[in-house]
Amino acid sequence: MALPDDKELEAIFGDTIDLTTFKQILEMDEPGDNEFSSSIVFGFFDQAEETFASMDTALDEEDLEKLSELGHFLKGSSATLGLVKVRDGCEKIQRYGKQENLDGSPENDVKVCLDQIKKALTAVKSDYEEVETGLRNFYKDDDDEDGA
Amino acid sequence: MAEAARKIWVTRPKASATLVTISPNDLVDDARDMILRKYANSLGKTYDSPDLTLYLKTRTGFSRVMGPEEHMGTVLEEFFPNGQMVEEAFIIDIPRNVPTPRPSPRAPLPPVSGSASAAYYADDVRPSESGEGYFPPVVGTATSPRLPTKHPNASIPHSMAVINSGHLPNIPSPGASKRAHRDRENHTPSPVVHNGGVAPNPASFHPTRHSHSRTHSSSSEHIAVHPNSTMPRSPGHEIVAAARMGPGTPPSPPQRLVSPHLPAARLKKSKRGQTQQQEYIQNPPPPALNAKVPPISVLIVEDNPINLKLLEAFVKRLKVRWQTAMNGRDAVKKWRTGGFHLVLMDIQLPGMNGLEATREIRRLERINGIGVFSNAPAEEALPEEPTEEDRLEGLAKFKSPVIIVALTASSLQSDRHEALAAGCNDFLTKPVNFVWLERKVMEWGCMQALIDYQGWREWKQYSAKAEAMEAANKRAQAFKKQSRKNRTQMSES
Repeated sequence: MALPDDKELEAIFGDTIDLTTFKQILEMDEPGDNEFSSSIVFGFFDQAEETFASMDTALDEEDLEKLSELGHFLKGSSATLGLVKVRDGCEKIQRYGKQENLDGSPENDVKVCLDQIKKALTAVKSDYEEVETGLRNFYKDDDDEDGA
Repeated sequence: MAEAARKIWVTRPKASATLVTISPNDLVDDARDMILRKYANSLGKTYDSPDLTLYLKTRTGFSRVMGPEEHMGTVLEEFFPNGQMVEEAFIIDIPRNVPTPRPSPRAPLPPVSGSASAAYYADDVRPSESGEGYFPPVVGTATSPRLPTKHPNASIPHSMAVINSGHLPNIPSPGASKRAHRDRENHTPSPVVHNGGVAPNPASFHPTRHSHSRTHSSSSEHIAVHPNSTMPRSPGHEIVAAARMGPGTPPSPPQRLVSPHLPAARLKKSKRGQTQQQEYIQNPPPPALNAKVPPISVLIVEDNPINLKLLEAFVKRLKVRWQTAMNGRDAVKKWRTGGFHLVLMDIQLPGMNGLEATREIRRLERINGIGVFSNAPAEEALPEEPTEEDRLEGLAKFKSPVIIVALTASSLQSDRHEALAAGCNDFLTKPVNFVWLERKVMEWGCMQALIDYQGWREWKQYSAKAEAMEAANKRAQAFKKQSRKNRTQMSES
């Protein structure tokens, strides 16, 4: 597939994806197929869904340390893909998991941290769904084009 | 195509004429390139080929300007059917209104070989790779009087010194002392004029180029891209290497970085025509790069499988050997097997984190005396006798301290300080920008290859052969494609 231009990508992803970052993954594809980038993207979907499930569990168990770890973990891969909203949401979870406010100052109230994480998790899930839909469409369209 | 090269007479006004070699298919534009090579001192240092105007003047007194798109062979046939005489030399004119002539950023022009101007930008900064076989761009640029502001190794002494505490002698380099302070401030320990890819950028005199300081050598936002470049195809086409320059220093033109994302095949063979000049701007020179990465062995330490997969795919493309580790403990274990030149170390790792792993590696290097100059008496060099547990197997495989490039998730200065303090040589901010990653691999790989000079020479010979074979294959494929195309055309008509 030819590399789509910026406008096309912007129309699909809006501000949910940092195009510079995402495109360097697209550029790793062999000309004519997107096997590599789609394997990365779909691998990320699996990882994100697993991580969200673990976060739900950790939230029920009020395990802040675990939440921080999971936040960091998903932050890494979402940043790699350029999924900026998901990345920022994960960073929030990581921070409050470490009992820190977003500016790095300590937040000693565990209850506040858990509340904030709960909010952030809901938001990040919806951000994720938005970008997931966009990405699935993006790869679906390409398949259609390739098939034609 | 197989026609012999031709020679044309050219002269500067009121000066002695000289012969310049061109190919039968060359355009006036190509001839200008050749002229700049010939007049490497008087013109080449100051002017670029579009600055030159060529006048045609026949013995009958006829004279006119030659357009860059004109075909040299046709002109010669039309006006000098019996051959061009000395007194009919093309006249080289430099218009007075050329903006601020100044030293061109171009490295010295090598001897002309062939005349394909398409190879010009890609090749002309690479000194002859025949005998001396060192790292041409590094050495070449260091000695070039025309690259006064850049030395790829400028800050290496600094960054090596961070951990090696003087194991390596300072490499004298122009401007290094001036910038050392800035380097420390900005924490960009490793600027690199891209090896194999430094080429004068035809767009470098564009008025909108970035000349302000971009500092951190790490993430995408630090890469200034020429606004008119064809960004969509690759975010890494043009990197402004002005990062090292303070506001007081003159802006340097962007260094063209050969994108790792453009396979050579995607490059058009230079199309002869009016659009040629534009094509230079839009199409980067052939990326002669992948084969140029030294044969180093890389250890990738990263706990997130997605990121790991991507890094693996990337180093695979660079054709270097690699292994992976998913936590600090594992990283140290793998490193102990020996033979690694470079470690890409994620910092936040489960269990033993990247900083701890780095400290452990440095500790083991120290007590095993790795990288300590052999003229120091062993007793003095070793602060303590390594215990059985710490003794490294196969010391011969540890030629020098490994280079550790930290991959940090945050752009916080404090994290970088911490990484450097732990013994990392360098860092990249995640998400890792592949252009920068490639630079790091190249740069540190070259450092390591210098240490293992014999190994590097062997690889170089091997790589030259491989390259020749690849080129032959490509030609064969191009031929096949061409003949297929011809057949299609024939059947269509």
